[in-house]
Amino acid sequence: MIEVTGLRVRGRLRDCSLHVPAGRVAALVGPNGAGKTTLLHTVVGLITPDRGTVRATGDIAFVAQDKPLYDSFTVAETLTLGRRLNRRWDQRLATARLAELGIPLDRRVGRLSGGQQAQVALTLALARRPDQLVLDEPLANLDPLARHEVMRSLMSAVAETGMGVMISSHVVSDLVDTCDWLVVLNAGRVQVSGDIEDLLAGHRMMTGPPELTLTATVVGGSRTEREQSWLVRGAPVADPRWRTRAVGLDDLVMAYLRSPEAAALPRLTGVQA
Amino acid sequence: MIWLTCRQHRGQLLVMSGLLAALGVVFLVSWLEATAFVASHAGLGAGDLDAALAERYQAVYTLFGWLPIVAPALVGVFWGAPLLGREFERGTHQLVWTQGVSPRRWLAVKLSVLGGAVALGGLAMSAMVSAWRPLFRTDTFGNIGIFNMLGVEPVAWWVFAFMLGTAAGAVLRRTLPAMAVVVGVLAVMTFTLFSLSDHYATPARVVTTEAGVEQDARLVSRAWTDPAGAEIAVPPSGVCPRDPGLGRGERAQLAYERCLIEKGYRYVFYVHGPERFWRFQLIDAAILLAGAGALGWLTVRRVPRSG
Repeated sequence: MIEVTGLRVRGRLRDCSLHVPAGRVAALVGPNGAGKTTLLHTVVGLITPDRGTVRATGDIAFVAQDKPLYDSFTVAETLTLGRRLNRRWDQRLATARLAELGIPLDRRVGRLSGGQQAQVALTLALARRPDQLVLDEPLANLDPLARHEVMRSLMSAVAETGMGVMISSHVVSDLVDTCDWLVVLNAGRVQVSGDIEDLLAGHRMMTGPPELTLTATVVGGSRTEREQSWLVRGAPVADPRWRTRAVGLDDLVMAYLRSPEAAALPRLTGVQA
Repeated sequence: MIWLTCRQHRGQLLVMSGLLAALGVVFLVSWLEATAFVASHAGLGAGDLDAALAERYQAVYTLFGWLPIVAPALVGVFWGAPLLGREFERGTHQLVWTQGVSPRRWLAVKLSVLGGAVALGGLAMSAMVSAWRPLFRTDTFGNIGIFNMLGVEPVAWWVFAFMLGTAAGAVLRRTLPAMAVVVGVLAVMTFTLFSLSDHYATPARVVTTEAGVEQDARLVSRAWTDPAGAEIAVPPSGVCPRDPGLGRGERAQLAYERCLIEKGYRYVFYVHGPERFWRFQLIDAAILLAGAGALGWLTVRRVPRSG
């Protein structure tokens, strides 16, 4: 479980509140510069917020953007770092995982490929057997094959342990298949936080002739001379002149990002600090 | 954590030990050689022997002369500045501060282990210089360069430089600018402490007919007394003639002053004598270590409480 209340970091986050239940795989999406990294750094304690609180249950392991590791260390020494600096450490898990990936323990980290470095960083985090794993843009700078490999091995580890995960990305499609919770961050504010299935079920795309007026909670959309089309939240409109269709995650995220004043925060309306 | 500290900084530890060992060898060889040289030139007068030694060991003296400035700078630049600067540059602080060990604890171990090694290095240099010096130079206090290499001065300077580099790296988050700051601040600090040290004690007032102060003392200021015993800055002109034939050089000045002494004027020197060695050492060390403490506080504030 991760709960953030009334978080403010000067110039980067404004009154962020969100709650991700235990065991969820949460996607944190938003454009570059929205404050995703700042939010994650605050969650893992690298940044002390000016205001607000962060609560998280159990141990959090963090894989930072660009997967920083000590280049001069060998892979084995990197594991020793993990073992010596953490109370909980599963050396067998770590070595088995690296053997399976074909990453030699005696190789210097600096001489591994980008994909292999990402796997070493991920192994370092998984071997701590954390209750919560936080990953900042884990797929950035990886080629498509490595992206697939990293995501696949991450998800199998998550399925085995049932730990909670929070992954940030500015590419929504990276996360569509793997996540069950969505957090949309835009210009330092949390716009959306909720179960992805509930969100998709709770929104629809309404298309109709231009002269109609729509009585619904509109997130965003467009009007042309021939027709108007809106993404709305809540129950469908009964008027049969409106055509209704389900939304995809991409549509949903785009609609919210284009309307920064709209918000879908079902569970947290009363928790502002 | 101690394992990590040693693993990350083993290069620096090796280089420092190597440089200190090399310095030790230079000192030892020149000491053995000079002992033999002194033994074989027993017939020379003290002054001639000093001159002969100075000429023979010009290179060692040059090395020796640079040490009190260069050694702390090296410590600050290569030990202090990268300690946090490099972690920030490479982003590895995000790795190491989010492990089970809290960032403040990480910093505490790094500062104690590396600061301890730096202090030991300073102590080793002080010990080597103390053993080597007496054969060549008898002064310990009057020459600020030698003074800064004896007693607790190297330890205080090295620890200060280390903390300075660390704080600069923590604030600037970059190694190279932090290195530049170390060199600049150390230069200013050396000059400042040197000027400040005149005020560590009330200088002794010496009224004399001799033109120089006792050996190994530090001259703070000078004046004159007139024949009645009252202190004046400069004797009034016209008391003694200035011989135009001798020009305005040193010899002319000496002749002029000798004439003043004969007329009852006396030199007044305000000096710190060598008996104040430890007092000055300890005040210098206290200032430097207080500075190191303040820089340490600055560094701690740049490191989050919990990761």
